[in-house]
This record gives sequence, structure tokens and C-alpha cells, in this order.
Amino acid sequence: MPHSFLVIDDSKLHHQMYRLIFGRGALAGSTVYYATNGREGYGLLAAHPELTMVLLDLNMPEMNGLEMLERRRAEAMHPHVPIVLVTTEGTAEDEARGRAAGAWEYLRKPFQPADVERLVLRALAEAAPTS
Amino acid sequence: MGDSENPFGELLQDYVLECLPLAEQVADAFVELERRWREGDPADTLLTSLAGRLHTVKGNSAMMGLVPMRETAHALEDACALLRQQPECRNDEAASLLVAGGSLLVDLVRDASAELDPAPAARFVERVRQWLAAGGAPAADTQPERRRAERRGAEAPADPDKAANVVRVDFRRLDAMLEVLGEGLIQHAALAEAYRALAPRARAGPELARLDHAVVALEKTLKRLESTLMETRLLPISTVFARFARMVRDTAEAEGKRVRLVTAGGETPLDKAVLDRLSEPLLHLITNAIVHGIEGGEVRRQGGKPDEGSVRLEAAPQAGRVVIRVSDDGRGLNEQAIRKKAEALGQELRDGETVPLRNLIFLPGLSTAERVSTLAGRGVGLDVVAGAIHTLGGTIDVATAPGRGTAFTLSLPVTLAIVRSLIVEIDQERYALPLAHVAETVRAEPEAIREINHRGVAQWRGGLIHVADGGALLGTARGRPEPRRYYVVMSAGGKRRGLLVDRLVGHQDVVVKGLDAALGRPDVVSGTTILGDGRVACILDAVRILEGGRRAG
Repeated sequence: MPHSFLVIDDSKLHHQMYRLIFGRGALAGSTVYYATNGREGYGLLAAHPELTMVLLDLNMPEMNGLEMLERRRAEAMHPHVPIVLVTTEGTAEDEARGRAAGAWEYLRKPFQPADVERLVLRALAEAAPTS
Repeated sequence: MGDSENPFGELLQDYVLECLPLAEQVADAFVELERRWREGDPADTLLTSLAGRLHTVKGNSAMMGLVPMRETAHALEDACALLRQQPECRNDEAASLLVAGGSLLVDLVRDASAELDPAPAARFVERVRQWLAAGGAPAADTQPERRRAERRGAEAPADPDKAANVVRVDFRRLDAMLEVLGEGLIQHAALAEAYRALAPRARAGPELARLDHAVVALEKTLKRLESTLMETRLLPISTVFARFARMVRDTAEAEGKRVRLVTAGGETPLDKAVLDRLSEPLLHLITNAIVHGIEGGEVRRQGGKPDEGSVRLEAAPQAGRVVIRVSDDGRGLNEQAIRKKAEALGQELRDGETVPLRNLIFLPGLSTAERVSTLAGRGVGLDVVAGAIHTLGGTIDVATAPGRGTAFTLSLPVTLAIVRSLIVEIDQERYALPLAHVAETVRAEPEAIREINHRGVAQWRGGLIHVADGGALLGTARGRPEPRRYYVVMSAGGKRRGLLVDRLVGHQDVVVKGLDAALGRPDVVSGTTILGDGRVACILDAVRILEGGRRAG
């Protein structure tokens, strides 16, 4: 089954990077949606309950990553979709706040394509029915 | 290149496109901070607002594996953090540190590549580390020397040749791609031509319909390739603007004036080939504004103006072109002096009609300076600026109000690679005339053109213009030519001249072939192109044609 991902990042360069990551190896053929702020991203999340994983940048104009996580939790919007919070050299405190707001995982820049692939595998494993 | 080590190496150009404007905004903000701190304004909002951009540059550099940029941005972030917490540290020393770092960051990002020399960044990071360790205190003994060294350091990278080296390498490839695309367009034209000849005679059937589809689809694909390729050649104009913030600061300081540069529209995209040739004329206009336009503080105060003069540099896309305005709030041009000087230079100022200022100000030898300055008085006049703009297929205009300031408005094509042209026929050959310099096409009635002093003259819009024979200019007229049926009124910098042609074929966006293709052609030819039907056509240089008119006179 093809995977689908949502990238929420205000950097067009990062959109290109994710395009490379999701265009190779086992992930090739995935559908990727892109948003440039939390508001747009939230709309896409609401429209796509089938998402395999969301990559959410922390620092963004309009609605930032934490704000989006908080809104998502408050509205219980597709809580089964794992959201990875992405930051640049974030502190342990940032990470704790992200997790408290409902982030499934935490990814620090700079990361490699393999780091994202590992997260996808884990997300799939956790989502698989255990019974 | 670090493509092998970094999985995102192929995105280097995207990195520059995204980060260069950010780095430039940060560098400009630092210059602005320095200015405001000197005035006693803590500028808290500005200091806070640039943090996001710096953070993005750091994150992007980290992802790209560009360590010098990442570390420079990181050091600047640390310095800003300290300055946010300790307003008492916001002094000249701190400002100088930030300005130097911003300058460095812009240069690093602009020249981004894996072979970057890491030494300047390492030196800067070390300097910030020491400054932080001292709690943001100035190192009293070395301060003046250091500051001067910083100035020089900030000056050196302004070398336009160093600009966007990485893109320049890619650019040759883009030129090569454009060449190949040109060939593809010609081959498509031949294919379409053959199809059109074949179709009426062929039996209608699914094969013919498929061929028809394929020909149409191929054309669409080639057009898409063309527009994508054109987009790839574009860079934000801020790559040029960025060099001026520090230049204005230093020039104003040397002149003992206070001037701030305000820029707008830096995101406006332009072909790199245009950008490369734009920085020199803009530099000259801005220097002029500071040296000759903006008055000294005393004069400004008497005129009820703020002490600090301002030079505005604005760009905006407009109907497929880019309009750039360089304006100042200085004393304005001395119109009377200019008219007197123009007369002294032998310019005919016809009776009963005021020649517009714009027709005089760009004349060779006409300088508005009342005194020779070390900076702007280098004998380069506005005629050179206008010449450079015209060569780019652009136009330049001026407006001025005494005591209120002067504004130069430039209109430039977005690209030099594709020129909107009027295709004309002269002696069975086709030529492309850049539309930017075509004022009007006129049917040449036999009696309309008279000969005065062996030069053709026609009435046009209530005045007289010289009209030259296209065949004579190009050396193709054999014997006594048939009277030509049209003339095209060319115009640039207030000069006008008619060009006699046989036929007007139509408008076309032509792909310009390299200038070497024009070698051995008459000097009014600036390049060649391939027309839709596969024929090679010369592109005529409007500025040369207009100059030719002056020489002949």
C-alpha cells in the first residue's frame, strides 16, 4: 500500500529535501502533501486521516508547530496519525514540551534521509494491528 | 562538491535562492541596528525580529552540511541572544561585530559550495566566542584598529565578480541547455511544417490523428521546458541590493553625511545575466545620490528636513518587465544649470519647445556635479549609466523637484535570453528589433520622407526625425532599392530615429544566441536568433542604430 505523508515547513528548501527523501528506496511512490504553516498543515491533516506520518517544523509564521499540536489535541483531530516535531538544535526542554503537546517523535536538524526512513518504519510497526 | 557526502547536495542552488535573501535581510538589519543604537534607540523589535531568519539560515545550512554558514549563523544567534538580555552591551563594538558577521554570512551563502574556505568563518566564530566570554565587553585596547579592519573586511566581498559564483558555473550549463532547446524548437518547426504539407494528401485515419496530437504535444512540452529553463535563470534582485547597504554606510561616512538606504521589492526575480550587469549602473546612481543629491546636515536642517537623508532603492515586476527606482530626498537637480551646460555643449534646444530634462541629463559630458568629489567625480557620467541600461534592453527616466529630491526610474527586461521582438524584413532578410526600443511603426508614404543634407528626414508626431535606410545600415542594399514601405521609429534615452524596412512580419519572443554568433556581422547586429520557421535572423541593436544616427550627423 502506498504511503502518504504531510510536510509542514515554511522552508521551500525543506520541501525539496523531503521530496528527495520520499522519492527514493522503499518510500518511492509515496504521496506527499506540503504546507508552509501550521494553519495550512492543520487543514491538510483534517482532510487526510490516511496519513502515514506528519513532519512538523517547530518555527513557522502563522501557526507554529507547538500551536498546531495543541490545537490538534484540543480538537482530537486524527490522534492516530503520528506527528514528528522537527527542530534545529532544540533543547531537551523543547523536546519535553513537544511531547507534552502530543508529538509522537522528535527530530533534530541536521538529519539524514535514513533517520526519516527509520521513523517511518517505526510508525508503520506501531500502527500495525497487534491482534 | 559535497554531493557525495550530502544527500541534499543537488539542492545547493535552492539553498542559495532561499537563504541569500534571508542572510541579506539579516545583514541589512545589523546595519540598521548600528544606526539606531548610535541614536540611542535600543531597537528591541528589530533585534527580535531577525532571529527567525537567522535560525532558518542556520537550520538550512546544517541540513546542507555547510558548516561555515551554520557556525557563523550560530555565533550571530548567540551574540543576538546576549544583546537581547543585556541592553547595556548595545554599543559600537557590538554593532561592528554583528555587521561584520552579517557581511560574512551573505558572502558565504552567496558563494555556497563544499570547497568554501572555512577560515574566515572560524575567525569570526572565535571572535564572537571571546566577545561572549568577556560578557559583551569591548576589548578596549584593540578596538579602533579592529574596527578599521572590519570596515575593510566588509568592503572586500563587494567585488561583483565574486557574486554568486556557484550559480555562474551552473549558468553556463543553463546557456548550453538554452542552445539545445533552441535546436529543439527549430526541429519541431520543421516537423510541424512537414506534417502540414503531408496532412492534406494523407489518408485520414488514427495514425494521422496520433501524429497531429504528437506534434501539438511536443510543442507544448518544448514551451514548458522553455519557461522552466527561464525560471531557473532567475535570481532575486536582492542579490544586487544587498551589496549597497554597507556601501551606502561607508560612502556617507566618507562624505560626512548621514544617509540611510531603504530597499523594497528585493524578492523581484531577474535573469542572472541582467543582474550581473545591473550592479555597476545602480552603484553609480546611488553614489551620485549620496554625494550630489543628499545635502549636508546643516543645509538639510535649514530646509526643514531630517538630518539623515534617505536613498530609496525599489524594484517591482511590471508587465513582464522589472521597474527599478533609485530616489533620494536631497536637493534635486539644478535644471537651469543643466540646460545652460547642454547649450554650451552645442545641444540644439529648439525654439518654442522645451526639451525635456530627460533628453539632456543623459548626454555625454554633462555632469550635474558642482564640485569634483573623490567618490563620484571619476568622470563617469549619467550617459554611461544610460548606455549600460540601454545595452540591457532597458530604459531610464528621471524626475526631479528642487529641494525635494531626484528619482531615476529604470525599466528592464526580466531576461536577456529571450527578447520580445518585432520581426521585420529588409532586402529579403528577416531581422528582430527588440520591442523595448520600438516606439511606433509607420507606413512610409513616398512623399513623407525628404532628404536634408543627404539624410532622410520624416515628420513624426509634430516634429522631425532622421530616417535611415535599413539596407544601407546592413550593407544589403544593392543599387537603387525600391522605396521601402514602412519605417520603424526606434527610441532610447530620448533619442529617436526611423529605420526603413520592406515588411513588418509580426511579434515574436526570440531566443538570443550567444554574442559570438554575431561576430563578423555589421555592428548594428547584437546577436542572432532562430525564427519559428527555422530561419536564422539577426537581432538589431537599437542603441547602435540610434548612435549611428548621431555619428552620421
